Amino acid sequence: MSAPADAAPRRETSSRRLLGRDGRKILIGIVLIVMVVFGQKLYGMATAAGRLDPSLRDAAEPRNVIVVLDFMPDRFHNERIAAYGTFAGRDGALNRYRLRGVTPENLRQLAAIPWVAHIEPMR
Amino acid sequence: MSFATAPSVAAKSPGSVSGIGDAWQMLGGLKILLPFAVLVAIWWAIKAAGDIPDNLLVSPLQAWNAFVHLVTYGVMAEYASTSLTMLGIAAFISMAAGVPIGFAVGVNRYAAHALEGFLRFLQGISGIAWLPLAIIWFGFSHTTTLVIVIYTLIVPIIFNTMIGVRAIPEGYALALRSLGAGRLRLILDVYLPGALPSIVVGLRLGMGYGWRALIAAEMLVRKGGLGDLIFGARTFGQIDRIMVGMIVIGCLYIVVDRLIIQPIENLTVARWGLLQR
Amino acid sequence: MSLQTTMIRLPALPGVSGLAWRLLPALPFVLVLVAWTLFWAVFHPNKATLPPVSDVVEVVWARMRDGELPAQIAASLTRLCLGAGVGILTGIVGGFIAGLNRNVAEFLNPLVVFFNAISGIVWLPLMIGWLGIGTALAVFVIWNTVFFIVFQNTVLGVQLVPEVLEQGVRALGGGRLETIRSVILPGALPYILTGVRSGLGFGWRALIAAELVGAPDGLGQMIFAAADYHRSDIIIAGCLIIGTIAIAMDRWLLIPIERRTIARWGLVLDATRKS
Repeated sequence: MSAPADAAPRRETSSRRLLGRDGRKILIGIVLIVMVVFGQKLYGMATAAGRLDPSLRDAAEPRNVIVVLDFMPDRFHNERIAAYGTFAGRDGALNRYRLRGVTPENLRQLAAIPWVAHIEPMR
Repeated sequence: MSFATAPSVAAKSPGSVSGIGDAWQMLGGLKILLPFAVLVAIWWAIKAAGDIPDNLLVSPLQAWNAFVHLVTYGVMAEYASTSLTMLGIAAFISMAAGVPIGFAVGVNRYAAHALEGFLRFLQGISGIAWLPLAIIWFGFSHTTTLVIVIYTLIVPIIFNTMIGVRAIPEGYALALRSLGAGRLRLILDVYLPGALPSIVVGLRLGMGYGWRALIAAEMLVRKGGLGDLIFGARTFGQIDRIMVGMIVIGCLYIVVDRLIIQPIENLTVARWGLLQR
Repeated sequence: MSLQTTMIRLPALPGVSGLAWRLLPALPFVLVLVAWTLFWAVFHPNKATLPPVSDVVEVVWARMRDGELPAQIAASLTRLCLGAGVGILTGIVGGFIAGLNRNVAEFLNPLVVFFNAISGIVWLPLMIGWLGIGTALAVFVIWNTVFFIVFQNTVLGVQLVPEVLEQGVRALGGGRLETIRSVILPGALPYILTGVRSGLGFGWRALIAAELVGAPDGLGQMIFAAADYHRSDIIIAGCLIIGTIAIAMDRWLLIPIERRTIARWGLVLDATRKS
């Protein structure tokens, strides 16, 4: 795409440069960083509805629940889950946590964790 | 800094459409991947042929499995986020505080001369050296990490802002002033654009120091972040996690440095550059 | 780019006497000391949090006298010399080999960029398994840091030597080695020296970090051990010494070398060259 021979040489304006090579790099870079920082969180929030047992939806007061993972957890996961309620031991298997007194807000946040399989009420 | 060949003026026509193919080509495509493929092959060969035990070196496959594990179960995302967030906040605060300070100092030649040596001295005491003191003052917390990284970042930024301002030929400011421009106008139209290339160079330099200081701080403070990940993995002898962590650290730094800061540097220099390139 | 290469020599103004101008750089230090002393006199903070200036001075003096401080400094500097020495040598040799061959340089570039990104302390957890905690580990970390920086700068320097100079020597009958010695080496030298300077700066920082994490002795270890006993006076003393050594190294070792070699060969140093 060349300018007609008699036109004045086109100056590279800022906006044109922003769309050029460097601008694209910056965009890709920002997208990558945002994906790393927010990606899984957003995925978790988007799929939160599927994790909560129906009886726990619209909970209005603290409930006792069982948080189920579909893998063998690390200490990392133990620590994260225990922050949302009073940890009351495992429920039979290492990947089932009993949590007492989980507030509705914490319940919502638990449901938004991407690596949680599902959350059941405790019997 | 890339030392690959001659000045890389893209010989592509300016009207080419951006897309996957374009991005592939822009990122160097095969040229970038091939060396790493060879490296992985050598890595695999060393592990296999040298029959090196797992507590010293793991194979690429083991590292990959660890990576998948860490990503799927949310561990990598959180640790990487922590590091990047810390870096981002530190960069923001450092720029927000450092640039004005650098300006204030730079416009006065006495102040600049006075502070130059002091800033160099602070630069010599890396942020990491202050870590034990910061731990005494702020405990093992994110505050400690943040303070150290901010310190590491802000010194080069102030210094380079100072230099950037001082390098602006007096004529520009005088010309505008003779036309009746007020102080704000001067700052916006002369000083800021004039100093910007130098400021961004300072930011880039600071990021190099700062990222390393961040990792080191995380190793000691142990409150999350990639430094914590690889150092913690050491305690449990999880070499696969260590190697994955190292690779992620490298990749993330390259993304931040080459895909974000270097292009910004190129843009500011191209637009306002007084620096010789 | 190291801060050092962009030093600006501002001329003294007629209104300010030469002596005052030269003393000006000391002003920030004096102000800090004064503020520190005043703060201590007024607020009397816990000695563990912020010791008085006198304490720090005392500690330095006492440890200098009983030889402990010189020993720590020597330990750290030895590691630096070992690691940086090997790093500089391997960096220059490697840089030449790569720089002289365009294809090799292009192939290695991504790898070098990547390894530079993880240079230094990132290797610590992995190498603890290989080398244990101690001097070997610290030396490796320093070598690692210095090598990639010097390598990159050497390659750049070698590549930027104008081809016409090379051809000139060849035309006069010089062999490969002669070309390297008389044209490429001097031509690449400014970049190499920038790399060395930068590398030493990074290397010194990496050393302190490595010693902080685990070393039997050295300045970094001294600071870290002091933290356990809440001896802030030792920590501050250590930090100041670290800073002083960094400045001394640059000012009295590297700048003279740079000046002598570059001035001798009449080469112009690109002040904005980054590492």
